[in-house]
Amino acid sequence: MAELDDIIHQPLRLRIMAALNALPSGVGLEFAKLKKLTGATDGNLGAHIETLSKAGYVAVEKAFVGKKPQTTVTATAAGRGAFARHVALLQEIIAAAGGR
Amino acid sequence: MIDSQQASAALDDINDVVQRVRQSRIYQIASLIVVMWGVLVFAAYIAIYIWPRQGYMIWTIINLLGLVISVTMGVFINRRSGTPRFPIRALTTFLLIVAFGVFCSVVLGHFGSRQMTVFWALYGMLFYAIAGLWFGYAFIVIAMCTTALTLIGYYYAGAAFLLWMAVAHGGGLIVGGLWMRRI
Repeated sequence: MAELDDIIHQPLRLRIMAALNALPSGVGLEFAKLKKLTGATDGNLGAHIETLSKAGYVAVEKAFVGKKPQTTVTATAAGRGAFARHVALLQEIIAAAGGR
Repeated sequence: MIDSQQASAALDDINDVVQRVRQSRIYQIASLIVVMWGVLVFAAYIAIYIWPRQGYMIWTIINLLGLVISVTMGVFINRRSGTPRFPIRALTTFLLIVAFGVFCSVVLGHFGSRQMTVFWALYGMLFYAIAGLWFGYAFIVIAMCTTALTLIGYYYAGAAFLLWMAVAHGGGLIVGGLWMRRI
């Protein structure tokens, strides 16, 4: 059985990837919305997005809407692939134990 | 490596977030349509208050306008989400609802203008409440508030009924739609 992806498996990063992966390809989420959907705090979310971004799993785009800075996070193709593999592996683990 | 219980918990966590994202997207899209209808309905009540004899024509124009804008928004939204389809099911649903409403209010019941106004407001809100059962509680909240305010207006607003309805029905949809974007 393949090894779990440690970058994705951390609980908050898993929630971030799940949220971004639920959107159509190329569509992202604003930082504030992502924070609300994942139940994270500002600092926590920023740090984990940074980790995912360094791994190439998400793209971060910063822009100004009027005078307000807006950060949008989008899952990359590599991120979507890694997330799909991770979910498949979780399902495999459950199936191997005879569950679900 | 993790055990099956931890894997199961992780999948539950994923499903929970996916559900939240889906509901959030439904609210984002629906709120645009709800606010648009709120503005149109508000304008219709004010117009009928000014030109009371043109009620049927004003409602026909407003409904056609709302329908065209809704369908255009539906096409645009479908295209953005990668499904370039005409929202035929949504359009058919809307037309069936309107047809049945016309049948009830014009053919079966011979309502006066005040009853007709209340009927269409409550009838519309019934479908918001039904939508709420499938897509999220915000629709139910909007339906309940608007229904309550409509009934209060029907019994107590007197000559200011249309102005009351502009605020309660049109304003209710606008406020409800904007609130939807925040949850």
